[in-house]
Amino acid sequence: MELPAIESRTVDLPDAVHPTPDAAVPGGRRDASLIPNYIVLILLLIFSLGPLVILTFNSLKTKAELAKNPLGFPQKIVFSNFPKAWEVGDFSVTTRNSLLLVAITVVGVLFFGGLAAYSLAKLDIPGAGLLTMYLLIGSSLPIQLYLVPLFFVWQKLHLVNNHFGLALIYIATQAPFAIFLLRSYMVQLPRDFEDAARVDGASEWEVFLKIVVPLSWPGFLTVGLVVALGVWNEFLLATVFLTEQELFTVVTSYNNFASRFSRDWTLTSAASLMMILPVIVIFLLLQRRFIEGLTQGGLKG
Amino acid sequence: MNVSFRWAAVAALAALSPLTALMSPGAVAQEPIELSMWLDVTNGPDEADCIERVAIDSYNALGNGSMVKVTQQANSWDATKTALAGGAGPDLVGTPGPSFAMQLALAGQLAPLDEAAAEFGWDGIFAPNSLNLGKVDGKLYAIPSEIETLVLYYNKTLFEENGWTAPTTIDEMMTLSQTIADAGIIPFAHVNAEWRPANEWFVGEFLNHGAGPEMVYKALIGEVPWTDPAFVAPMETLATMQANGWFSGGLDRYYTGTFAEAGSMLGEGEAAMKIEGTWFLSDAPNYFGEEAGNSNELGWVPMPSTDGTVSYTLGIGQTYSVNANSEHPKEAAQFLGHYFSPAIQAALLSECGLANAPVDLSKEDLSGVDPMLAEINASLNEAYAANNYGYTTWTFWPPESETYLIEEVEKVWAGDVTVEDYLAGHQEKFDAERAAGAAPPVPAR
Amino acid sequence: MSAATSSPTPGVIHAGSRRKAVFRRRIVPWLFVMPILVLNLAVVLGPALSALYYSLTDWNGIRPPTFIGLENFRTLATDPSYRHAFRNNVVWLLMFLTVPIAMALGASSMLAPVKRGSLFFRMAYFIPYVLPSVIIASLWRGLLSPDRGIPGWLNDHGVPGFDKAFLGDPKTVLPAIGFVDNWHWWGFLLVLFLAAMQNIPRELYESARLDGASRWDEFKDVTIPGIRPTLIFMLLMTAIWSFLTFDYIWILTQGGPAGASEVLAVLVFKEAFRNFKAGYAAAIGLTMSVFVGIVISIFTLLRRRGWEI
Repeated sequence: MELPAIESRTVDLPDAVHPTPDAAVPGGRRDASLIPNYIVLILLLIFSLGPLVILTFNSLKTKAELAKNPLGFPQKIVFSNFPKAWEVGDFSVTTRNSLLLVAITVVGVLFFGGLAAYSLAKLDIPGAGLLTMYLLIGSSLPIQLYLVPLFFVWQKLHLVNNHFGLALIYIATQAPFAIFLLRSYMVQLPRDFEDAARVDGASEWEVFLKIVVPLSWPGFLTVGLVVALGVWNEFLLATVFLTEQELFTVVTSYNNFASRFSRDWTLTSAASLMMILPVIVIFLLLQRRFIEGLTQGGLKG
Repeated sequence: MNVSFRWAAVAALAALSPLTALMSPGAVAQEPIELSMWLDVTNGPDEADCIERVAIDSYNALGNGSMVKVTQQANSWDATKTALAGGAGPDLVGTPGPSFAMQLALAGQLAPLDEAAAEFGWDGIFAPNSLNLGKVDGKLYAIPSEIETLVLYYNKTLFEENGWTAPTTIDEMMTLSQTIADAGIIPFAHVNAEWRPANEWFVGEFLNHGAGPEMVYKALIGEVPWTDPAFVAPMETLATMQANGWFSGGLDRYYTGTFAEAGSMLGEGEAAMKIEGTWFLSDAPNYFGEEAGNSNELGWVPMPSTDGTVSYTLGIGQTYSVNANSEHPKEAAQFLGHYFSPAIQAALLSECGLANAPVDLSKEDLSGVDPMLAEINASLNEAYAANNYGYTTWTFWPPESETYLIEEVEKVWAGDVTVEDYLAGHQEKFDAERAAGAAPPVPAR
Repeated sequence: MSAATSSPTPGVIHAGSRRKAVFRRRIVPWLFVMPILVLNLAVVLGPALSALYYSLTDWNGIRPPTFIGLENFRTLATDPSYRHAFRNNVVWLLMFLTVPIAMALGASSMLAPVKRGSLFFRMAYFIPYVLPSVIIASLWRGLLSPDRGIPGWLNDHGVPGFDKAFLGDPKTVLPAIGFVDNWHWWGFLLVLFLAAMQNIPRELYESARLDGASRWDEFKDVTIPGIRPTLIFMLLMTAIWSFLTFDYIWILTQGGPAGASEVLAVLVFKEAFRNFKAGYAAAIGLTMSVFVGIVISIFTLLRRRGWEI
């Protein structure tokens, strides 16, 4: 669920990500005096990554070992949980579903959100304040408020149990964040190119497509990543709007590991790991864009 | 207008349109009529596949002009409820119990099945009175399926080693629990972290066996208030057991333990007893015997009662109906005739481990059925025939009262609310729902 | 750039060119906004408005609704579980206004002077933020188990006070869930604060040091004022989210035990999907929006009053 980003903040929030250790501000103190810092930081590191390490251990244990050794390193490493979890979680199908949802949503958000951002950034749209206000308020409404009525409308339109129907909801709810972030990229672009093109008779559509989009592509990439992450991780809407097994996403198939009342924890651990691994890998590869998008959008996942 | 922009707008609209084409169900017809059915996979995909093989494939093989097409769904009830409200939904409607079916029938979303009942002779097949569970204003709308009951399981090996005998009265159960606790063993392997409504198993069993099913019946039809001392006493007992830490060693454990942990506590002899439903039996081999790596044996006795009278609470885990908007109600009813035939019900029980409908299976081959399940079921049937059965909360209570029982009892156990206030609050909800016509039918005893 | 090469016909004044200019200035911008706006109206505003109507009915999600006026709101005013849930939202708010902010501030000022491994630390702290809540919640449910999780391990190693299921005790359940939520949340704050700190001019620190300021003085007089806009913005966001919080509580306890972790969003979900009281649920949802509105208004008011935020 994304939340209102106060507009001006998205613009002047500093770039979160340049690894600029030399700008280490309050520092300038000698390395020796940093030892307490390192101790605290390493403790926090254990806090942050420890649970994920334990998750990895547990995915490599047998059910019997997990019962006796719930936290430690596996005595005997078994990999059989992974193929089994792949099967139980129906990962070959759910991965395809999730990728499809991500693709439709990202394309939709970038295209339609980009259009709106362009209008707000470059076209002096009359009523801009009102529009911004609406998007802000709309994105801070609790989803529980409109979930049930939305479901009924979608039901009537035959958009339930339909990836496209769910993607439409994602596009609509992710749009405000995308618009504000893309807008903040676009306003920074110099006007010279556009004006030249306009003088030459280019339509706004052409200016958007041929000048503004190519110049603000980093913004599009950032938004795309953040939206993709949100859709990949989304659980509540996906469980409500997709009820047929063959439409499940990777994360909603999490329910497959529970029987009527209980859950197999070794399989669950293996499945969890397979669900979060792609996210972590892509995050590590593109962390700069990720962090920039997530922090500037004021988005909470 | 700018051409490229217009193109963009058209493209945007076009993106929406294939959808409508995709979604309108094509008129297939001619061939056999297709009936839709949503099958819940909550009990695992294996069971759903088995049901499909045993009950659906056999119907489709009959070649009688209609075919059932099954869609497996994770939470089919939520989907069903919303689809029906939107005027759609499958031809064959399943609900998780009579009180839910009743809501649908009252909303006019189910087709009456009285003709089908006559055609298939259901009155002769079903246990007497059991069809009444699916009736609203005298008309049959839902067929009860999947009967279940709760008993007291115990670790037989542990009991033998310590020379304990399984209790028959609640007092005996309390004394024994103290003995067990003194021996450093947890009396009951009860938890609710993964299924909060597990609370109602205990509330329901203590109401029924503490006050007796007759009293519960009277309260359900409004003749006796829920605040009667006969109900207060067993709820106090239950609260005492929780306060003593007899459920898994303390309330915090009860609220956070998983069923797998509880099962293995019982199997390994760390805990001694467990009040649970017949559904536990399919899970039990994971905790007892070879598969669990121990040589312990599971035993069961009827849930103890105040005076030692034996009775069994009756639960209905599922009902089936025909959608009022179905284009082929006749064919759909025909499928129900097949599904509820004793032969198919027996096969579902022995091959898939699915609890059977309350139909007469005495002439069927039940050799594949778990012997303990067969034993408990036989006892339940006997008790039912002798009018000696109790009432599970999820079958005979209206929804809000049921939720109240589940959620508020935690406040009693926390010591925030007295048993009297708890039952008085329940009375209030119960009266309101009964007045609003939301209480499920209770067959006369 | 092909757009630049297509040549117009300069100097020729069309009769319709004024209209065309108006069209281009006033209508075209809205055409760009229209597709996403229409979709957003259909997904968010339309259903939200119909929730407004449902809140005035006895709708049960199945049968057609009957109009009952303000009855739902009257019930709500006297409903003890509503008041209780609201109080829990406030407790949640206080927890999240303090603990994660303090953690992130502390850690980011620890991290800011560090050169070696700075990026590594930052990424490691950030990773939990990108993981799905279902997985985080069920992972921590296992880790918090009193016998088999971390408390059990601590207890076995002689640390007192951990022989306890924190998620199962009404007194500790809310902080325990907050702990799990915070595990994934604080690293995000840290990165935000760190970025803000790196934009503080170095000279301010240098002159503070010349004045003989201690580390604490530097933190209080330079760092905090320097990141004030980010800090206040995140306080506002925290306040809004605290009234909407749902997923961790729902997954971990569904509001229990004994209602001790029930918040408004959980109440809405239960009323709508368990108790068949969709109308009442809509009324509760509406009040949640009002609380969020109040938070935003206070913020705006303070801003108008000259708070530099």
